[in-house]
Order: sequence, then structure tokens, then C-alpha cells
Amino acid sequence: MSLDAGSETRTVDFAADDVPQWRSILSWPAAPSIIFLVVATLGVGMVTDGFLTIANLRSILEQAVLISIVALAVNQVILSGEIDVSTGSLLAVCAFVFGNTANVVGGAWLPLLAALAAGGTVGLLNGFLSTYGRVPSIITTLGMLFILRGAVLLGGGAQVLNMAPESRIFGQGMLAGVPVTILIAASLFLVMEIVSRHTIWARNAIAIGGNESAARTLGLPIRKTRLIAFVLSGLCCGLAAAVFLGQIGQLQATAATGFELKVIAAVVLGGTSIRGGKGSNVSPVVGAVLVGVILNAMTLNRVPGTYELLILGSLILGAVSFEGVRQKLLTRGH
Amino acid sequence: MNARSLSMDRFRVNRSMVLALIFIIQIAVTSLLVPGYFDIRGLLDATRSFSEAGLIALGMTLVIITGGIDLSVGALLALVSVTIGFSYQAGLPLWAASMAGVGVGTLGGLFNGAFITYFRLHPLVVTLGTFALFRGIAYAVSDANAVSGFPDWFSLFGQTTLGWFPLQFLFLCLFVVIFWVVLSRCAFGRYVYAVGHNEVAARFAGISTNSVLLAVYTLNGFLVGLAGLIYTSRIASARGNAGLGLELTVIAMVVLGGTKITGGSGTIVGTMMGILILSYLQDGLTFAGVRADWGLIFIGVFLILGVFVNQVFRERSR
Repeated sequence: MSLDAGSETRTVDFAADDVPQWRSILSWPAAPSIIFLVVATLGVGMVTDGFLTIANLRSILEQAVLISIVALAVNQVILSGEIDVSTGSLLAVCAFVFGNTANVVGGAWLPLLAALAAGGTVGLLNGFLSTYGRVPSIITTLGMLFILRGAVLLGGGAQVLNMAPESRIFGQGMLAGVPVTILIAASLFLVMEIVSRHTIWARNAIAIGGNESAARTLGLPIRKTRLIAFVLSGLCCGLAAAVFLGQIGQLQATAATGFELKVIAAVVLGGTSIRGGKGSNVSPVVGAVLVGVILNAMTLNRVPGTYELLILGSLILGAVSFEGVRQKLLTRGH
Repeated sequence: MNARSLSMDRFRVNRSMVLALIFIIQIAVTSLLVPGYFDIRGLLDATRSFSEAGLIALGMTLVIITGGIDLSVGALLALVSVTIGFSYQAGLPLWAASMAGVGVGTLGGLFNGAFITYFRLHPLVVTLGTFALFRGIAYAVSDANAVSGFPDWFSLFGQTTLGWFPLQFLFLCLFVVIFWVVLSRCAFGRYVYAVGHNEVAARFAGISTNSVLLAVYTLNGFLVGLAGLIYTSRIASARGNAGLGLELTVIAMVVLGGTKITGGSGTIVGTMMGILILSYLQDGLTFAGVRADWGLIFIGVFLILGVFVNQVFRERSR
């Protein structure tokens, strides 16, 4: 957030001179989504009974946690100008690794390590193919989405794993009065904020996503930066798998199908530019909560589950076209 | 420059020949490994199952040559199928329902194209959105139910044979010829390459790039409409989960045929070879009784490998 605050402020100052005020509001990436989130929450709250209760809001947050853990990482991938659509299947693979390790050795920490290792390895492969292998990331990760799902179906087809309570500590229970899952997401957010503010890698990622050829001319390590973003995405899938299994307690081969769409929806709804180079860590979190609010409102209003994809698709299209309109408005007259 | 484009041309010719050779070897090896596989009638009959994907691959070739991509084809096929089935169930005559289906396909393509050109968004984002949207509408309309029980004449599109040839394969061959002519013998084909090679330069050369893009995506949607009609007739039922993962198969066919994923080059002949190689690989696996889940893995690997090999080759040929 802080990173582009620098570049954004310049745009705002510049805009303040010769364009109306509303344009400068438009130019802060996360602002529209936050406004939208507040309006949506209040709007849904007014028309839906039982929405604005502590228990329901908590369950929305807990659902949003899973999305935001992965979205925080995919956000970095998109910022650097690439995309990762393999997260749904990768989450399932990591969950399988977690579940099977937990079944053999018990506990939760060793399975977490195994899931992180699996996620990191696939992320590394994704990143390597997309950078050094010159395969566009949409092709790599789309191929991987199907390869990994195929692997899960082959490896675990009919298997239904039930988790022991001791292995579910990342998805259940409270710590100091706060649900563990929310603590995990909050710490990840803090870590990402520190990384964004204090590492050269994060600054490079934004520079590369913003203008690749300029970044190349400057001699920034384009491939390495993007590779790290993909590895991060894999690692976060590993972490999310631990939370996921902790929350639902059992595992099937079709788990998390379509999850990648929720993640992408969260990132673009939050206001990160799909073209890369513009966005903040607030975006994926706000976006994830928004997705959570909307899906929850659907359930409470008895909208059939068959509408979920329809809603997600409209959200993605709405968010990116909003971004397109905003670009048009901002560039008009320049 | 001249020498380079010459060597590129030679490479392209070579590539189709190499692919044809691979295809022959592939059929020979499968026939040796799997007893009873080699049978001209059987092999021709197998075209039934991939003609739909083949049709869409032709449109996808144009889309990818312009430097774009269409991830929504599988979802759109489901929407087309559901449109046909459910408007028939709602009382529309079946011929009108079929035309409505093809119309919805064309409109879906137009929607993609309009979104991409109007908002200047990358096709991958737009079609990722419509990937969810189209299937979402299909699920919402069908409420996860299926429609079947079509009248007998409806099996015409997907279950008829002319001599030894399934009708839809002849249909595919016809479209291969049309697309080959359009792409390599018409001005429109040159525009498609020009837009993919350098959109700005194409615009300065007086080509209405937006119209070209709009036409290409709409054409792709039209082909999905036809494919959806054939699919519904072949399966004799319409349901929302039709064509799951179809976009992957189609894109893999196109890039395997040598179309450059970043746009600017590719041929219909190459795509035709890509269609044949990938489809007969799947057919061979099914015939040998390999679990269908392996198909997902193979196609994913082929997709990534196909693009990877293309990129490496192009690096070399420079």
C-alpha cells in the first residue's frame, strides 16, 4: 500500500491542478472497493435478516480468510504483470499432502511443512516455466490447473480423509479471543505490508508490472522477481491448505474447484490493476471480504448455489470494466 | 529481413511436415501397442468425438494469431447446449431452438470482442470473466438439470454418417478449407496476422484493428455455437457441465500446431495437425482403457510443452 502511495500521490497532486476532485478519488486503487464494500454491507444488511449479526459477520470473515491468504500472494503475481490461475488445484494438492502427512505422522506442524514444500515446489515450477521457459503464465498455470486436478483425482479419487482434531489447529479455535484463522490472515497481511515497504523485491515487482520495457532498460531482475512471486503464491496455497482442512475437517478430490476464480475476483475487485503495476495489499483483503459478503448474502437470501459462478463472473467482469472506464477517464485530455 | 522471413517460411512448411510425420508414427505405435486399434472405420469413427473441438480450434487459431486468447469456449459451449435444450423444453420448435443456440454462441463471441475492444482489456481477463459468467448462466438456467428426449431428426448433426464418414467430420473438413482460404488467400487473413504482429503498426497502416478483433471473436463464438449444436445432437442431452475443460484441449491443439501464443504467426494446416495428434492421442488412451483422469494431465502437459517447444524453436531460428 505504502509503495504505490508514493507514485499515487504524484498522480493525485498532478490531477488536483487541472481535473475535478472526483477524478483524484478515482485514482486511488483501493478506494472504490472500500466504498463498495461499505455500501454492499449496509445494503445487504438492511434487506437481509440475520446478516448484521456478530456470528454471521464472523463466518464471512472466516470464509474471506481462506481467499485472502492466497489472494495476497496472487496479488503480487498480478502486480508484477503475470497471472496465476492454478491456485484452485494447487490448494487441493497441498490439502492432500497435508491430510495424508497428518494421517501418518499426526500433529499439524509437520503436515504444514509438507504442504508448504509441495506448494512451493509447484510455484517454483510455475515460475520457472513462465519466466526462464518463456511460456506465458496463463498457459503455464492453466495447464497446471488441469495437471494438478488430474493428479489429485488419480491419487485420491474416492478417498475421503477425516482430520483428527489435533491436526485442525490452523482452522479452528481461538487465541486470545480472536479466531486463529483471522490471526493467520492478519499476520500474513502484516508480513506482506513489511515486505512491500521494506524490500527491493516488492518495489521491483511494481516497477516491472508497471512498465516492463523500462524495467528491462533499468536492468531490474525481471525473471527472478516474477519467479519469487510465483513461489510465494505456491507457499500461500500450502498455508491456505492447512487453514482449509482445519475449517472443514475433511477432504475430497474435488475440493476447492473454482477457487482460483474467487481469488482472481478478490484481487481485481479490490482494485489491483489486472495490467499490473498498480495496487496494494489492502486490495486483495478488501476484495476477499467483498466476495465473502456477496456469497454470504446469496446464501442468506436463498439464492440457489447454481448462481455462484454467474455472480463471480459478473463480479470479475464488472471490476475489470470499471478499471477500464477509470483508465479511460483518467487518460482523457492528457 | 528478407532472408529471415524466407527461413521462417521454410520452418513453417517443415513444421507441418514434422507434425504429419509425428502423427503417422503415433498411429503406427498405438496400432502396434494396442491390438485391434488399427481399423480405418474405427479411426474415422473416432473423428465424431473431436470434430467439435476441431471446429473451435479453427476459430481459436485466428484469435491466438491476433495475440489474444479465448478461455470461455468451454463455458459458451455449455450455454449454447443449455439454450438449445431448455428453449426446446419451453416449447420452442427444435429448429428454432437450434438457431437460437447458434445465435447465443455468436452473441457470446460478440460480447467477448466488444468488451475487449471497448474497454481495451486483455482478452485473458475478459474471457476469464466470461468463462465463469457463461457457465454460470448455463447452471442458473438449467438449475443443474439436463434435458433429453429430442426428436429423431435432431440426431442428424451428431450421429449421422455419410459412407464411412461421420457428418460432423465432413463439416469440419469444409470449415478447414474455408478457414485456410480466408487466412492465407484473403485480405482479412492478412489483417489478422497484421494485428497480431503489431497492432499499432496495423492501425497506422489503415486497418480498423477493432473491427478485425471484433470479427475474430464473433467468428469464434459462431463456431462454438455450431460445435454446441453438434455436441447436443451427438450426446442427445443438454446440461450445464458440457464442455468442461474444452478450452484447454482447444488451445493445446492450436499451439501444438505451431501458432505462436503471443500472436503474429500460425497456420490452419498446423492447427489441423494439432487437432489430429491430440485427438488420436486421447482416442488411443481411451481405447487402451487408461483412466480418463490421465487425459487431463496429458493435455495440460502437451499444452505447456507445445508452447515451450515453440518458444525455444523461435529463439533458435532468430
